[in-house]
Amino acid sequence: MAKLASQAPVPVFVAQGDDAPAETARLCLNSTLTIVETPRAAAILLVAGTIPASLIPNLHRLHDQLPHPRATVFWQAEPTDLLSEAVTVRNDDNLVSVLTDTRSSLLSGSHGTEADLLPDAPPNEWRGVGSHGQGGKGMMGGTPYGRPMAMTAADFRDGLELDAYTADFGPFLPMFPPGLVLTLTLQGDVIQKVSVVHLPFAGEGNAGAALLRLLGLPALAKRLLRGPSDDADFKRLIRLSGVRAAIPPGLGCAPNGSDVRERFERLTTDPGNPSKVHVDGVGLGDLLIGLEWHEAMLVLNSFDDESLRAICANTSSPELEEKNGDSMDHEGHAGHMS
Amino acid sequence: MTTLITIFLVLGLSVLFTAGLRTASGTDLADHITNPQQRPVLGGSDPKMHAWQRFHVRYYTMTLVFVAFEMEMMFMYPWAVVFVEEGPKALAEMGMFLTILSVGILYGWREGIFRWE
Repeated sequence: MAKLASQAPVPVFVAQGDDAPAETARLCLNSTLTIVETPRAAAILLVAGTIPASLIPNLHRLHDQLPHPRATVFWQAEPTDLLSEAVTVRNDDNLVSVLTDTRSSLLSGSHGTEADLLPDAPPNEWRGVGSHGQGGKGMMGGTPYGRPMAMTAADFRDGLELDAYTADFGPFLPMFPPGLVLTLTLQGDVIQKVSVVHLPFAGEGNAGAALLRLLGLPALAKRLLRGPSDDADFKRLIRLSGVRAAIPPGLGCAPNGSDVRERFERLTTDPGNPSKVHVDGVGLGDLLIGLEWHEAMLVLNSFDDESLRAICANTSSPELEEKNGDSMDHEGHAGHMS
Repeated sequence: MTTLITIFLVLGLSVLFTAGLRTASGTDLADHITNPQQRPVLGGSDPKMHAWQRFHVRYYTMTLVFVAFEMEMMFMYPWAVVFVEEGPKALAEMGMFLTILSVGILYGWREGIFRWE
């Protein structure tokens, strides 16, 4: 059974770090690997490139979400202290064969599964206020599973007071540019507030392929990654797919008038020459607030890395300023222990 | 008697099948799921609050109009069949029914459901 299973494609979740190898994006073209969208579906966590010290707690949290048996492979990166036993791949090694071998030895039992890095305890005590720990403020009570309930806030559309959910998203979220961490406040799936916690990594960027994947066209995304897309066939397929009409007109409009539709066309027809967007004074708040989740993801992925970093830098971000100050170590430690 | 035996046989087989599936489904389910594994996937970030939340279902007025018109049609088909036999009594019943439903439609109208946005 283990032998048969080891012949199947290896499910890999990629955690992309800074200076990740250029081949990282093209791993999905390899038929012996399946690049999965969630750590829950992966057997191997592939860490490509250096993970900055402030994001190591995030990597450890991600690691613990993989089901057993699991293994971690560091590709052109130094293993973290807690993952010192993990497999390391240098430049010259053949990554794919290391991944398949690790998977086979995991299945046969010769490579033991990695234990949780974080303590098996809820982030807070599961007790609210009241004589029996049953409640909280008003109707919103308690801390189920150690997390307080969302409190009410006015929806900016009509002032209706319902629960506003605030959470950090990223940096290893498949629909986010690698490295980007945002604190988003949502009512339903409409973004109400946004602030930047960590800037996206600078890199070559594959915004065209990311957009195609988000729009549900993974085969065309792979075709774009395979090489220059100046063939007429590719352009015809894009046109026939009708994907242009799936992007709302005027979405994510930059000051120079370019919207997601225009940037998408540029990225897919001429990926080697991304248009430079004039982003002076534009913050993520101007672009994302009021959008639904899927629209916001299209906007985020439609910029080249340089423009997106500039936009994030323009965004008010108390967390980022705080982290750049003295409290960075403390923040990292607190996040890690939770 | 044969029917009874068949029922018990099918029942026994389904219990066996379920037990077999549960045993074969691996150790993951049986194991204790740790706290770090229970955390929702946010790409490595840690949620500060519980995800149980109330938000406004914006399409509810549309649902109201759909239910109003759908219920109307559901009653109208059988009503049309017996209308000839029953005569004015059926007509009065349908009138009452439509009056009640039209309250919902009027409410939707007041909420601006028929305005194109």
